[in-house]
Amino acid sequence: MTEPTVPEPYVAESPGREAWRMYSRNRTALFGLGLLFVILAITFYGSFFYAGDAYDIVWAPHEPPMVTPEFPLGTDYLGRDIVTGMLKGGGPTMAVGAAAALITMVIGVSLGALAGFYGGWIDTALMRFTEFFQVLPALLFAMVLVTLFSPSLWTIAFAIGVVSWPQTARLTRAEFMKIKELEYVTAARAIGAKNTRIIWKVILPNAAPPLIVSAALTIGVAILFEAGLSFLGLGDPNVMSWGLMIGANRDQLLDAWWPVTFPGLAIFLTVLAVSLVGDGLNDAFNPKLRER
Amino acid sequence: MTASFFIRRIAYGLLLMLGVVILNFLLIRLAPGDPAVVIAGEMGGIDAQMLAAIRADYGLDKPLPTQLWIYLSNVVQGNLGESFFFNQPVATLISARIGPTILLVLTAQVLSIVIGMFLGVIAARKPNGPLSGFVSVFATIGYAVPVFWTGIMLVILFASVFPIFPVEGMRSVRLRDAGPIAQFFDVAHHLVLPAFTLAIIYLAQYARLSRASMMDVLGSDYIRTARAKGATEQSVLFKHALRNAALPILTVAGLQFGNLISGALLVETVFNWPGMGRLAFDSILRRNYPTVLGVLFFAAAMVVAANILTDLSYRWADPRLRGRE
Amino acid sequence: MSALLEIEDLNVTFNTRYGAVTALDSVSLHVNAGETLGVVGESGCGKSITALSVMGLIPSPPGRIAGGSIRLNGEELTTASPARMRAIRGAEAAMIFQEPMTSLNPVFTVGAQIAEAIMLHQKVGADQAMRAAVALLDRVGIPSPDARARDYPHQLSGGMRQRVMIAMAVSCRPKMLIADEPTTALDVTVQAQIFDLLNEIQRDFGAAIVLITHDMGAIAEMADRVAVMYAGRVIEGATADDVLDHPQHPYARGLIDCIPNIAKGDAALREIPGVVPPLHLLGAGCAFAARCAHANNRCHTEKPKLAAHGHHPAACHAVQEGRI
Repeated sequence: MTEPTVPEPYVAESPGREAWRMYSRNRTALFGLGLLFVILAITFYGSFFYAGDAYDIVWAPHEPPMVTPEFPLGTDYLGRDIVTGMLKGGGPTMAVGAAAALITMVIGVSLGALAGFYGGWIDTALMRFTEFFQVLPALLFAMVLVTLFSPSLWTIAFAIGVVSWPQTARLTRAEFMKIKELEYVTAARAIGAKNTRIIWKVILPNAAPPLIVSAALTIGVAILFEAGLSFLGLGDPNVMSWGLMIGANRDQLLDAWWPVTFPGLAIFLTVLAVSLVGDGLNDAFNPKLRER
Repeated sequence: MTASFFIRRIAYGLLLMLGVVILNFLLIRLAPGDPAVVIAGEMGGIDAQMLAAIRADYGLDKPLPTQLWIYLSNVVQGNLGESFFFNQPVATLISARIGPTILLVLTAQVLSIVIGMFLGVIAARKPNGPLSGFVSVFATIGYAVPVFWTGIMLVILFASVFPIFPVEGMRSVRLRDAGPIAQFFDVAHHLVLPAFTLAIIYLAQYARLSRASMMDVLGSDYIRTARAKGATEQSVLFKHALRNAALPILTVAGLQFGNLISGALLVETVFNWPGMGRLAFDSILRRNYPTVLGVLFFAAAMVVAANILTDLSYRWADPRLRGRE
Repeated sequence: MSALLEIEDLNVTFNTRYGAVTALDSVSLHVNAGETLGVVGESGCGKSITALSVMGLIPSPPGRIAGGSIRLNGEELTTASPARMRAIRGAEAAMIFQEPMTSLNPVFTVGAQIAEAIMLHQKVGADQAMRAAVALLDRVGIPSPDARARDYPHQLSGGMRQRVMIAMAVSCRPKMLIADEPTTALDVTVQAQIFDLLNEIQRDFGAAIVLITHDMGAIAEMADRVAVMYAGRVIEGATADDVLDHPQHPYARGLIDCIPNIAKGDAALREIPGVVPPLHLLGAGCAFAARCAHANNRCHTEKPKLAAHGHHPAACHAVQEGRI
């Protein structure tokens, strides 16, 4: 005897679930997510298969790709294996990108929230401060910070965060200024909620969608920053990274195209994946804008 | 009205530059280690006599506010310090290199805006056409490619496969004594690859943005009015629509100017372009802080100037902003 | 004598995500020289689409003239070349739009925008065109026209902007002026002024006016003849007096009942229940049947034709069967 089927009660879809439903309809966005997973999986698991040190000289220099089976992407100007370098260099690049994006979001959201919520002179002061930071060319400022405080993964992430937060702050401010005028904020005030509670528990969750999108795009920008710094030789000297590989092999680029080409391709694909995910999230949160 | 706006805008710009000077001062003090050593740079063979000279010059034995005052008055007099490596004042070093950087950055800016808007306008006419698809794919890709890698790929392509553009420097040695016209074309020839490399990211962004903006404008009532009075399609697109659609591009282009300078640092390094970026790179490798901070100062000044110009041109382009703050 | 504008069996379709929908279904209208035709109906009835079809301004894609003919002075417009249509627009047929706030280009002075209309159709220099523009501003009742010509649209009020639009529309003395809800976006007091101005303009310039509106009061004041439209079809047409005094179609009766009649001691606002159905949901029957108190089976299955019965033509089975 079969049990009688109980009709499932209708449950309103949670915002996250709805966003995912919209997201999963978007083929480009799914491609971005898949690409991101593939890149993460390859750099994570790949380093187990290629246990060697990326700095080790293992073969003759400038071995072209697809010639020797052990070195499918060839070797660089010193005879270091490019596959090993790419696998070992991916982790730090992405970690710095993620950490820098986190720092950017923390600074940007805090300052933007304060300015947008309180308004008045706090807003004026914070916005002047933000404008000041926007005057400094970001990469140059990051270069100065990294050199002054000697390059390590942490100082790099910190420097990128310090130069990238103004846009996040502006976005957060705009969102806060919009949301604080809405009825449910007034309602929260009416029942006597404290400002900190209103900021964290009422406004921030409602401002989350655009901030999540901005966080995703910030990761992409941070990865490009890290790559640029490493390319200039301002990366952590003890850690292999994609930008460093390009920078190190740059002088010989006319003798061997592969040591500079493949790491760049890796940076491009990673940033592409992250930004496609960001665009997909944006579309998922704003279904009406999808016609564009 | 506009004059007072202009004056206030410049005063604010000077205030921002004062902030940059104070920041530079603080950066040296905040860096770990003896400021005199930081200023001298980590070059070999620095002697006690030299350090003493630096301490006296910068007043490093005096209290911090006095030090700041000395630093400020030096900057106001155009003294940004001495590069011990080049054995030249920093201001001299930079003034020799700021021209090529401005040339590169402005060329890239103009290229990206003109080509980007042209693509965007054409794409907006057929929102689902192939060019629209190309513009969005191109914009997504352009955003994700590291600019220095684009440059390197172009160097490989044009150095070995199609050697039609020079991939290094700004002038040919053999034309050093040529006439001004030959020199002009020589520089323009050298400029093609770096400027295009730098422009390509922004070009893609502006194309996407102007497509969206143009589609917005083309749906507006005043475009219908223009058509209703019998205006030609060119006049509708390039006179009535473009001027309105260009306003958001102008805003973004102004905001992107700092990033353009950042990009120029990388592009100059790739193409050995003799600008401030190369100088910053060389100085950073030699831990030559006065020069690096001088470059930061001038780069920030360029951004401030660009912002003022953007504001003014925005007010010129959008009559709704005139006579308002 | 043939009419100035003759629209015959005009069909316009739009491609939407629901497939091709019929926005205009066999619309026939005519306008005689110098008269005012009122076209009434709720939003979404096809009034504006009709006007845009005449001007050749149907956004295409997604819109398309699928059949029928539009003749201005005997010249077929549906097959006219784009260049010929440009020459007609603004010169022989001009149009005034609903939104004066957004219908003027914000980055050009109003004088320049009027002068542009003149220069597009007449061989005059910029100075001469600008002088003509100032004269037109004066003609449409804008004070200190010299200074106003140098103003940008945002510096003028809504009523002033609509006057500018009218000045632009009549700048080349068109024989036909289409006014699409010209006063909807304006204050009531300004509405009356604009109607007065349109009447004056018509008298002085001898232009025929097609007045598109949902306001029966405006019809009573302005129109010589009236066409009532519903869901892309003309459902009733006659002289303004006939339609106002003896409306036939239940929809036209409903519209006239909506005019608050204070004289009769009846100030209550009435409305026709329901809304115009979305065009992609139109069935085989009369589009008004779902909202109609007199609908029977035939109304739901067969489209009524516009045919004279009794007083004047109306597309309604109930009227034609003498049920109402």
